Amino acid sequence: MRRHSRRIFNLCYRFTNQRQEAEDLSQEVFMRVYKTLGSYRDMYGAFGTWVTSVTRNLLIDHYRRTRRDRLTDSMEEVTTQVESKESSGMRPDHSAAVTELGEHLQKALAKLSPDLREAVILRDLEGLDYSEIRLVLEVPEGTVKSRINRGRIELARVLTEMGIRPN
Amino acid sequence: MNWNCEQIEASLSDYLEGALTPEEAAQFVAHSGTCAQCQELVASVRGLIGAMHALEPVAAPANLMPAILNSTLGPRPTSSGWRAWFGWTRVIFQPRFAYGALTVLVTFGVVTQALGIQLRMPTVADLNPVNLYRSADRTAHLAYAKGSKFVGDLRVVYEIKSRLEPSEDETPQKTPAAAPSSTPGCSSPGRSGRSSRW
Repeated sequence: MRRHSRRIFNLCYRFTNQRQEAEDLSQEVFMRVYKTLGSYRDMYGAFGTWVTSVTRNLLIDHYRRTRRDRLTDSMEEVTTQVESKESSGMRPDHSAAVTELGEHLQKALAKLSPDLREAVILRDLEGLDYSEIRLVLEVPEGTVKSRINRGRIELARVLTEMGIRPN
Repeated sequence: MNWNCEQIEASLSDYLEGALTPEEAAQFVAHSGTCAQCQELVASVRGLIGAMHALEPVAAPANLMPAILNSTLGPRPTSSGWRAWFGWTRVIFQPRFAYGALTVLVTFGVVTQALGIQLRMPTVADLNPVNLYRSADRTAHLAYAKGSKFVGDLRVVYEIKSRLEPSEDETPQKTPAAAPSSTPGCSSPGRSGRSSRW
């Protein structure tokens, strides 16, 4: 339970880039899992994969619900990014650099389309293999690979535009 | 045919994950080695993947677990007032507490008996380590003597019993032979004979 909750929270946080939203969504995921536990079958894959699939569906629903709000907030985000970029480079230690890179990655991820974002998160941040991602996203494996590849390239470009070059 | 930038871009992840055939990988390297733009793209995506894999998971909020449990199983009843203060006493009424207490009491009784402490009229001298040692030593020797006497008695009883009763493997062999010679003139001094005398 604890392991799943942490993983689900991470998934929600990486997708939404908001801690409070991620917390609320995590609760919602477990509510849904609890209610639909009887419908779980082995054909959906491992239990963790099924929970990830439930999370993904909820995230997509949430994304569609909040699309309008995000458009109005986009200008504020740009301002925040510029501010954080200006304050970067002041932390000499490695862990601070990693944290900083994580923050930049988080912001860059938010700029990707949901299809590419979820594919990259599941593959590179959650460590799922292609067959598991295929089950979660309910698309062919070729599409999964293509989305991950395009997502990575897009993410690298966004980071370059932000002046970040991960080593 | 040599690869172009679009092909490099399309098979970038496959190349980085080692999923290309040797021929495809050779084509990939041949192009990216000469194209500065592709070289830059490969380096940045490789660095990005490494950075994402090295990224620590975000710590979940401390109240997430209770919140999830509350939202799924419903809020747990919380006690207040004197119930909150004396709620721990409920454990006393559980059977395992009674078993534990009984075990402790029995152990205490055995130890005090072994140490020779008089619980009815305890004195300060009873708690003297020398007296405690002597008492424990005496009790141990008495217990050993009683035990060895009991074993010795058992052995004597067993020996007498084994002489009086024939063993099971000897009985079927001797019984048919002894049956016809049950006349007073036939006297074989075997165990069966002795048994009959007794």
